[in-house]
Amino acid sequence: MADTKEMHDLVIIGAGPSALAAAVYTTREDLDTVLYEKGVVGGLAAITDWVDNYPGFIKGISGLDLAQQLQGQAERFGADIRLGEVTAITDEGKQKRIETTDGTVWAKAVLISTGSDYKKLGVPGEQEYYGRGVHYCATCDGAFYRDKKLVVVGGGNSAVQEALFLLKFATHIDLLVRSEVKASEVLQHELDKRVEEGKITIHLGVTTDEIVGEAAEGSTFKKVTKVLATKNGEKVEFVTDGVFVFIGLLPNTGFLKDTEIKLDELGFVLTDKNLQTNVPGVFCSGDVRSGATMQIASAVGEGATAALKIREFIELQERNQVTPVGELV
Amino acid sequence: MTKKITIYTTTTCAYCDMVKKWLGSKGLTYDVINMDEEAPEVRQRVIEMSGAMTVPVTVVEEVVEEGEEPSFRDITVGWNPAKLGAAVRDMVAA
Repeated sequence: MADTKEMHDLVIIGAGPSALAAAVYTTREDLDTVLYEKGVVGGLAAITDWVDNYPGFIKGISGLDLAQQLQGQAERFGADIRLGEVTAITDEGKQKRIETTDGTVWAKAVLISTGSDYKKLGVPGEQEYYGRGVHYCATCDGAFYRDKKLVVVGGGNSAVQEALFLLKFATHIDLLVRSEVKASEVLQHELDKRVEEGKITIHLGVTTDEIVGEAAEGSTFKKVTKVLATKNGEKVEFVTDGVFVFIGLLPNTGFLKDTEIKLDELGFVLTDKNLQTNVPGVFCSGDVRSGATMQIASAVGEGATAALKIREFIELQERNQVTPVGELV
Repeated sequence: MTKKITIYTTTTCAYCDMVKKWLGSKGLTYDVINMDEEAPEVRQRVIEMSGAMTVPVTVVEEVVEEGEEPSFRDITVGWNPAKLGAAVRDMVAA
């Protein structure tokens, strides 16, 4: 009877920059490589309006273009990108069993490159008005706010970058920052210019408490109208047409919680210096890895490193040797 | 019943790109309405139709003569291949 088990050299979980970089390397090494992506190919990079710090692009590149270039390059060498979600990984010794929403596959090695997603505020109204005034993707939803007033929550690179992008549409943005603005010098400079022009107002020391909405007169469509917040112990409110939230990142490791793969206290995957997890043959790269710098360039570099280490692992395994797991860092 | 697919998008929307690629992989054709290039009335119409201020919005509906109401209309907000799959199942098989 024919063996119908679907076996691959490598299954990569995720299809962001780190995963796609790894796939470029492994497919060029003739390793049969399948990627599973449950969201958007290119990951968070694909929904970033502009990437100015990825080497090789004099004028920068849009996140979507970069994602498409990475995808096209990986597919040119034979990467098989599938739209589906991995729900479990089981170590069966020389092979790993990977359960997906499209069925079960096996691989000699697995690379976890699931990246991270934007954190939610966890305040009343956030879930209720998601897509009706609460957003996490400026490049997707900014166009609905032409000539409107917006609130952006967050003070890091993403919040500032996306606030600057949203000014293509919005007339004014209130930037609510819990502590202080922690954006790069270049972004900070751009932000300062917009503040001077009166397009952005920065509110430091502000904690968002609730997002409130109501239906306009004569309409049943309820949408966001204001944000309630606290500043220096005082209640404040910001009248707005919408809220964009960029307050940090959470690792996409929910599917690993019932596995033996070790995570750090924040839920990021622990690896040794070879990017191997505590389970031999399961590697990790990019934003989801404990200690990641959350930079596209770093994620791509880690993807390449992981690919080389995976090739080494598979070669050794074929000679009945193992790559020992080193100290997890 | 003959159906058509319309995707409401913006120029920079990566999730819209996923919908287009997914439909393309099924051999389906679709019309694209780019909200960046449309009048405010179109944006308002999409909001009322979808109940959301987000894209992609993918509408699968019966093709009818002007002035007639389609007997079938399915609206998918966001990138949701499971829901889209159900909406276009008979189009893929045809």
